[in-house]
Amino acid sequence: MCMVAAGLLSAPLFAADAGNGEDLFDTNCGDCHSVSAKVMNRKGPSLYHLIGRKAASLGGFKYSAAMAKSGISWTPQELDAYLAAPKGKVPGGIMKFKGLSKASDRADVIAYLASVR
Amino acid sequence: MPRIQGDSWKFPATITAAAGAMMVVQPAAALPSYARQTGEPCTSCHVGGFGPQLTPHGRDFKLGGYSDSLGSFKVPLSAMVVANFTHTKKDQTAPISGHDGSNDNWALQEASIFLAGRVLPGLGTFIQTTYSEIDRAVAFDHADIRYAHTLQLGGKDMLLGIDINNNPTVQDPYNSVGAWSFPYTASDLGVGHLGGAFMTGGIEHQAVGASLYGMYDNHVYAEVGGYRSLSTGALDFLGVEDEAGKLSGVAPYWRLALQNDWKGQSASIGLIGMNGKLHPDRLPGPTNNYHDIGIDASYQFLGNRKDVFSLNASHIWEKQNLGWSEAMGEVSRRRQKLRQWNADVSWYHNNSYGLTAGLFGLSGTRDPLLNAPEEDFGSANGKPDTNGFILQADWTPLGREDSPLAPNVNLRLGLQYTGYTEFNGAKHDYDGFGRDAADNNTINAFVWLAF
Repeated sequence: MCMVAAGLLSAPLFAADAGNGEDLFDTNCGDCHSVSAKVMNRKGPSLYHLIGRKAASLGGFKYSAAMAKSGISWTPQELDAYLAAPKGKVPGGIMKFKGLSKASDRADVIAYLASVR
Repeated sequence: MPRIQGDSWKFPATITAAAGAMMVVQPAAALPSYARQTGEPCTSCHVGGFGPQLTPHGRDFKLGGYSDSLGSFKVPLSAMVVANFTHTKKDQTAPISGHDGSNDNWALQEASIFLAGRVLPGLGTFIQTTYSEIDRAVAFDHADIRYAHTLQLGGKDMLLGIDINNNPTVQDPYNSVGAWSFPYTASDLGVGHLGGAFMTGGIEHQAVGASLYGMYDNHVYAEVGGYRSLSTGALDFLGVEDEAGKLSGVAPYWRLALQNDWKGQSASIGLIGMNGKLHPDRLPGPTNNYHDIGIDASYQFLGNRKDVFSLNASHIWEKQNLGWSEAMGEVSRRRQKLRQWNADVSWYHNNSYGLTAGLFGLSGTRDPLLNAPEEDFGSANGKPDTNGFILQADWTPLGREDSPLAPNVNLRLGLQYTGYTEFNGAKHDYDGFGRDAADNNTINAFVWLAF
């Protein structure tokens, strides 16, 4: 799965480390987002089986109007742009996370999310 | 003499706010009603997957008015039970109560019901009512009701809130000082020591306070407020014993803290203060005045949440001007001082297995009238000084997202050892009746259940 995600990203990301991505996810994202196969929403929506999902499409979670109107489908590229600058990618979004500045960290997190399905 | 244990505890109305360290131990677990409301496991908000030690995410939830939610209404009710077995190294001289022996007691220390959850966007509650088998009574416990709203100021988040509570420091978002500091549970059946800062328990549950608070850019926290005593009628209605007397006017309370949250780590440093003028026994005349100021700090290494290391510390200085007690001939000095400090360090593995070590201490003015000899509870030399340590090991099997019964049931099993190197002014024969400080060393084996 890691390689699937990595393959969709730009060349420098081929070495994405899903294990490191899991640690980064637990450190930065896990308080608000669950990746349980039970598809549990928290302060943020469940990120189980996220890759390929249309933004704001998960039932039972109240998304911001900005996210609902974004038209995003969560490809690795779209996730990479969002994780780099959440408010820049979706102005008016309500996620408080300021983003991951290192491209390799984003690639690792995306690789981890791609593995959670 | 003030006794900080079980139903024999008596607030020293004549002497001050001698609410010692054990008095402020009013546990509140990770509340399943909050977990149901937010969809988040206890581990999101609490170090070790069980309350009350808050993670940065938990502090945000509290400061935000306990109101983050999945959107759908959840019944804001939870319950909690704390049962324990208490052994002290040496039996107490007399039975602790009519239904407890002088040592080796089992107790249903607390059975609480909470009204805890979101009321409206930004508005939420933490209201606890507790039955104590030791006291054989139900009483209104901690209450913290708050509303918060976030604005933009200079391009940064500015969270503003208003809080109403019944115990100074119960509203504080940190676990370094007062109501939510370590130990998070302790036996009411140990031997209570003399003294304690006014701010940390002196008017606990006997007053109502209102404060305004703000958090700027998740870095600067400030709060200012004040407390007034509840009437005796209100205290009777709530089942709360009138131990402190009546505050003269408003007792101001303030708090300032700087914090940073690096996601993998967080740290804070702060100042806290409170003044109060008490009419003990609610009689007119001179007041006993207290001026408290404290410093505190905390640090958490959270990492990937598999191994969480935390440290909390505080130091409070108190100046006392005991005009009423002097007039009653109950102190030998009108002006007295008191210092109280504590520190703890903990490590939690996989949000399940925890080890905590804490140090605590208190020192104050020597006063043979105020701190007189008395079996077990008094001071032979007139000093209230007490120093000791606490070691705790605990297991929290149900706090994680993947735990069975999560998020509806949480459980902590723990073994706690409290050791005293000094008690009421001395290491040996501290009470004038041959009891040593170490005789009060206490083992507390507890079961702490929340649902």
